[in-house]
Amino acid sequence: MVSEGNILEVKNLNVSFRVRGSEIEAIHDISLDLREHETLAIVGESGSGKSVLTKTFTGMLETNGRISQGTVDYKNSRLSDLKLNKQWTKIRGKEIATIFQDPMTSLDPIHTIGSQISEVVVKHQGKTKKEAKKIAIDLMKKTGIPNAEKRYNEYPFEYSGGMRQRIVIAIALACRPEVLICDEPTTALDVTIQAQILDLIKDLQQEYQFTIIFITHDLGVVASIADRIAVMYSGRIVEIGTCEEIFYDSRHPYTWSLLSSLPQLARKGEDLKSIPGTPPSLYKKIEGDAFAPRNQYAMGVDFKAEPPMFKVTDTHYAKTWLLDKRAPKVEKPELIQNLHQHMIEMTKEDN
Amino acid sequence: MQEKTNQSKIYEIDTIVPIANVSEDDFAVVSLNSKENEKIDTPKYSYWGSVAKKFFFSKITIFMLLLMLVIFLMAFIQPLFSGYNLESVGNINDFKARYNWPSAKYWFGTDANGNSLFDAIWAGARTSISIGVIASLITEIIGVIVGAVWGISKKIDRLMLEIYNVIANVPSLLIIIVLSYSFGNGFWNLIFAMTCTSWIGTAYFMRVQVMIMREREYNVASRTLGTPTKRIIFRNILPYLTSVIVTDVSMSLPSFISYEVFLSFLGVGLSQNVPSLGRLISQYSPYMTSYPYLFWLPVLVLALITISLYIIGQRLADASDPRTHL
Amino acid sequence: MNNANRETLLSIKDLEITFGSGKSKFVAVQDVNFDIFKGEIFSLVGESGSGKTTIGRAVLGINPTSKGEIIFEGKQINGKISSKEKFQIERKIQMIFQDPSASLNERATVDYIISEGLYNYKLFKTEDERLNKVREMLEAVGLLPEQLYRYPHEFSGGQRQRIGIARALIMNPDLVVADEPISALDMSIRAQVLNLLKKFQREQGVTFLFVAHDLSVVRYISDRIAVIRAGKILELAETEELFKNPIHPYTKSLLSAIPIPDPQIARSRKNIIYNPNMHDYSIEKPEFREIRTGHFVYCSDSEAIEYKKNIKD
Repeated sequence: MVSEGNILEVKNLNVSFRVRGSEIEAIHDISLDLREHETLAIVGESGSGKSVLTKTFTGMLETNGRISQGTVDYKNSRLSDLKLNKQWTKIRGKEIATIFQDPMTSLDPIHTIGSQISEVVVKHQGKTKKEAKKIAIDLMKKTGIPNAEKRYNEYPFEYSGGMRQRIVIAIALACRPEVLICDEPTTALDVTIQAQILDLIKDLQQEYQFTIIFITHDLGVVASIADRIAVMYSGRIVEIGTCEEIFYDSRHPYTWSLLSSLPQLARKGEDLKSIPGTPPSLYKKIEGDAFAPRNQYAMGVDFKAEPPMFKVTDTHYAKTWLLDKRAPKVEKPELIQNLHQHMIEMTKEDN
Repeated sequence: MQEKTNQSKIYEIDTIVPIANVSEDDFAVVSLNSKENEKIDTPKYSYWGSVAKKFFFSKITIFMLLLMLVIFLMAFIQPLFSGYNLESVGNINDFKARYNWPSAKYWFGTDANGNSLFDAIWAGARTSISIGVIASLITEIIGVIVGAVWGISKKIDRLMLEIYNVIANVPSLLIIIVLSYSFGNGFWNLIFAMTCTSWIGTAYFMRVQVMIMREREYNVASRTLGTPTKRIIFRNILPYLTSVIVTDVSMSLPSFISYEVFLSFLGVGLSQNVPSLGRLISQYSPYMTSYPYLFWLPVLVLALITISLYIIGQRLADASDPRTHL
Repeated sequence: MNNANRETLLSIKDLEITFGSGKSKFVAVQDVNFDIFKGEIFSLVGESGSGKTTIGRAVLGINPTSKGEIIFEGKQINGKISSKEKFQIERKIQMIFQDPSASLNERATVDYIISEGLYNYKLFKTEDERLNKVREMLEAVGLLPEQLYRYPHEFSGGQRQRIGIARALIMNPDLVVADEPISALDMSIRAQVLNLLKKFQREQGVTFLFVAHDLSVVRYISDRIAVIRAGKILELAETEELFKNPIHPYTKSLLSAIPIPDPQIARSRKNIIYNPNMHDYSIEKPEFREIRTGHFVYCSDSEAIEYKKNIKD
């Protein structure tokens, strides 16, 4: 049972995988509340566990993975206890739907676009075929497909990448889900199409009032869409806060690095700020702070003990020893100190 | 459990979090060794090591491998001592030596000529296995080389396709029979008849595989580095096709052995004095009901040979596919 | 910068590239003209299907051209050239590929991959010399000498891409075509790779043709940018000029689509959607014109007059 105002709650979740005979921890002690109707962005690089986390919400963990500790609750049901595929079918698609990076993985190449949408409408909304076709065309129009009536009978290969992603969104909407997980939905798309799809998702949320979990590796993309942002690193949430808190007042050095390495902030003639090294391999047991070896503000304690979550405000938490009283007071990188001011100047200059 | 709850606890900022074994000094920024970040933590990978590990993982594979080893050793060593001769009729008048059912003295029994079936089977197996192995080797070597060139070169593709279409449309068994008849019987003649056209099937199969690999990005990269075609074939493409080639071998070995059996059954192929499993089966088939061991034991050994070869081949093909190494 | 005084390394003239023939003939690139100066990073920016990669591959001789000229160091390199000449040019023009997991031979060690070109051109006298070269290169791209005998799949995506960069740059090329070298990488890794390319430009004077789909990335790295759409170059200018004075409506649309890492500005911003039918080219034929020094736009006469009016300094 979730608390008032929440739709999904994760408590002390650990997920592990068996790979080549050894147990690998992909998610470590994550607690997270998803509020109704909000857009939560989960930002992290590949291997950070962002997709693994949301797969536990729809029972789509790979067969060698399991929840080793903790709970996931959705409304009245405890998702972490569900075992059978039959139990999941009531949740998956119907309550929690997912849009993936590659739209072709969700589309059937040998059926027409229209039939794929209306099939879902018939199944989930119990309509007749004729009604379903009307609803399907309506959904196609809502997701911005021109000539929807004509294109209803076309096949996926006749659609461009951006149009296919719109169809996948239409199919997800046909189930009328409460939660929509967008797993890097724009990563494979061109920039102009990416901007359009983001606008579309925002507009549809206004109309259908669903809750969004938006997964991405690009912090720049979520500024316009997210209410809250969770930053993940190596299977842990290292910082979580409102969109403004993360962009204007972030506290974790990893978030600082992510922000300052955005090419939009780069200054001519200077090197881009880069994060040295590579993300930790899951094969190695993490001691202390997972980010420490790449962190220019790393302290001795970071290599010894895992930092706890510190509360910055009621909505803003960060997992770094820099927030302990004993730590030196470090300023965040100069590049992102007056981010808002800097961006206003830049946008003025460039039109 | 204590530690777990502690970890999940949330602290206000600027509090002192109680932790064991940490002093005030640990809260000073330390300098980093940037090279440290580039270290790879994954265990060092070796292709053939992983193939061996995967291959020997299954107990069935090990059993089949042992079975095959025993059969091969028997086939290639036992005849050296038994002095078996297919046409020997020395014991034909010794009635005690004729038509013995399998016993402690004659493990597989004896036939109408008083010859031990045990000796006969291993002598026959030696021929059959030799034919299978030699014919497969020739087929694969010619097939893989021709196929690799065929798949890379767009110039010879049309000509080769025409040749392939003509040959592939004639049943291979028919070609072998006709060739055997025209060249006469004999061990090497039979191998020639078998491999004369068989390589083209392998070559065609390789052509398709090579064509798939040809346009892969890493081969384009090699070309932009000025790598000659020959090296692209040997360094870039063939190593990726190990698994495919092993699969092909594991199918062609048993099939050549069966061809020999079938041809000898028809009385074509090997010379009259050469023992082979096919010849034994054909020679003893009239005894299927009266002295069934004479017929069924050679069949059983033949089955064990083909099955063990096939399974080992398949397992080796699986093991040599790096996708299974995870 | 005065472009007239700069040495041209690569010159592309009226280039056309077609695929297929007869009814299924498809024109991928048309009327493309541009010069790349020695030592600069020239970016070609466009969306999927714009023909940007096709041009890059034509420069490398992977894609045949149907019209026009590609001139490298004063010599034409497209069309019919002898295989000996082609082999010599291949060393001078190298490529960095988009997908570092597809473009490396998984069955070869890092040592072989980086040495591949050295072997082909016999660019070393002794085995020691070769090993030294490879080690130096490995270090230059930030990898460790002990990783010489590892296989590509043991590395992370960013490390793999640096192996790809190492094998191209060990050839001492004059021109490197970098085909979306960072779009398959994580955000935190991209900066490393861009800095590395910039380093080679600065320290060794390598010239780059950088192909990308995202203007925000190329702003930092490039000296000049060409925007391409549907096989035609629509606008070409120096980087800062292009961002300050974007003229073609398509360029404006691309700029408006760059995500802004600032929630307050990002939420209020409007996307400009480009409609290719907005131009009326039925009477006046469009051309690639110089609107102001070094700033070219594909437009008709009357559009050019209109564009000139709206330029700010």
